[in-house]
Amino acid sequence: MRSTVIVTALGLDRHGLLARVATTIAEQNANVDDVSQTVSNGMFTMIMFVSFDQSETTMAELKEALARTGEEIGLQINVQHENIFRFMHRI
Amino acid sequence: MVFITADEILETVHMIRSENLDVRAVTMGISLDDCAERDPRRTAERVRAKIVRRAGRLVAVADELQEKYGVPIVNKRVAVTPIAEVAGNDDPEAYITIARAMDAAADDVGIDFIGGFSALVQKGFTRSDAALIESIPEAIGGTRRVCSSVNVASTRAGINMDAVVRMADVVLATAKQTAADGSIGCAKIVVFCNAPEDNPFMAGAMHGSGEPEVSINVAISGPGVVRNVVAAHPEASLIELADLIKRTTFKITRVGELVAREASEMLDAQMGIIDLSLAPTPAVGDSIAEILQSMGLEHPGAPGTTAALAMLNDAVKKGGTMATSSTGGLSGAFIPVSEDAAMARAAAEGALSIEKLEAMTAVCSLGLDMIVVPGDTPRNALAGVMADVMAIGMINGKTTGARLIPAYGKKAGDWVSLGGLFGEGPVMALSTSRNDAFVARGGRIPAPLQGLTN
Repeated sequence: MRSTVIVTALGLDRHGLLARVATTIAEQNANVDDVSQTVSNGMFTMIMFVSFDQSETTMAELKEALARTGEEIGLQINVQHENIFRFMHRI
Repeated sequence: MVFITADEILETVHMIRSENLDVRAVTMGISLDDCAERDPRRTAERVRAKIVRRAGRLVAVADELQEKYGVPIVNKRVAVTPIAEVAGNDDPEAYITIARAMDAAADDVGIDFIGGFSALVQKGFTRSDAALIESIPEAIGGTRRVCSSVNVASTRAGINMDAVVRMADVVLATAKQTAADGSIGCAKIVVFCNAPEDNPFMAGAMHGSGEPEVSINVAISGPGVVRNVVAAHPEASLIELADLIKRTTFKITRVGELVAREASEMLDAQMGIIDLSLAPTPAVGDSIAEILQSMGLEHPGAPGTTAALAMLNDAVKKGGTMATSSTGGLSGAFIPVSEDAAMARAAAEGALSIEKLEAMTAVCSLGLDMIVVPGDTPRNALAGVMADVMAIGMINGKTTGARLIPAYGKKAGDWVSLGGLFGEGPVMALSTSRNDAFVARGGRIPAPLQGLTN
């Protein structure tokens, strides 16, 4: 079964942040379906729609790997199932 | 596919990471109708076994949903059929045995509180009700997780003043029984008017007779989120502010709806209700009082507080009812004192009195909640305060409750720490005018005209 999660990353901007996060996601056999990224006043903000097959990785593994990467590059990275965003803002 | 904007995604993340948005409680209601046995020890065994069987996965499921959605689910709890209806026994010892079984079951399934050590006596006592009430001081004082509630009044029945007086005695006896711990036992006893059968909040949670076999009731949270939206709009008129609060509580409630739907499916339980109450904790930024301050009041208790609270409570409900068709429980802003640091501060500084809290009770939910009063408060004074709170509920057709803590050995102005989510607060002074002749009349205050709605 395929799941979609939304990855948000926030922190001070520096070179290669998007690449590092995307690499970690690829290493977990997950796919980046969509990405948007901005830098404003030195603050880096990125939103990724990431899908994966549950037979290849789990949300917990993805979370753990991204938390490690986030720590290394100084980003606060959140991984949440897409339904919370759909539910919160729409009926 | 529903389109989600980047702003919406970041708003959700901000609400969770920076504004304390959480789901306050996932409470499983369990019917114990099939646990009655002639031997109370056997009843107790069956009660424990059924709670463990049905709620064994409650904590694991809540933790799984917390991971999946990134929203903290703070409390996992269980509410059961009012025990006076289950045990059918007129020996108080039988109820103490069952309370211990409930406590052990709560420990087995890893929850902090279990509610339903309860009786409904608004019109009178059965022998079971009387025995349960008599057992409360020892049952609550001798257990860690069991919570008790007694419904002594309703809009349809009036106020059972005999029950009010008995509960005043019970609260004083429990204060003494748990004196070594700041009379903490009283924080686990609520006296209700119009008690809801599906309330997910402790200490008043119970699984009423109209409820299904097993249900999941969810309590939303979010005082911090509402406070921030109010504080961010200092120029907004009150009507604009009401709209902002509605929009915010819509979002908060949708999270509760999502969790309730999934948790009930995963636990093979019927989805019950979403309780729209804004419930504070002692943490800074998680306070109803701070919302009132952001609305422009120096302290809760300042002139205008009741009006501000009425508006807040109404806007929360309007936003919430758009978000779910399963509203229930208490669904109104809570105004506890010890559990809300800014409220406790206002009381300590003399800005907030018990009389003002009573007025605030008329426009929100739960009444006089988590208020520490002097340990030498006379029984009749305590009964009088409880009766006042019940009258507000009875006449207005709403739920009110009294959770008063006559802290043993403490006097007005002392500071009492109750620990954890119970918080801390000042001992608040009660009026010393005598009411003995009124209380001594006993009997029942008849149901008001408001109860005749057919």
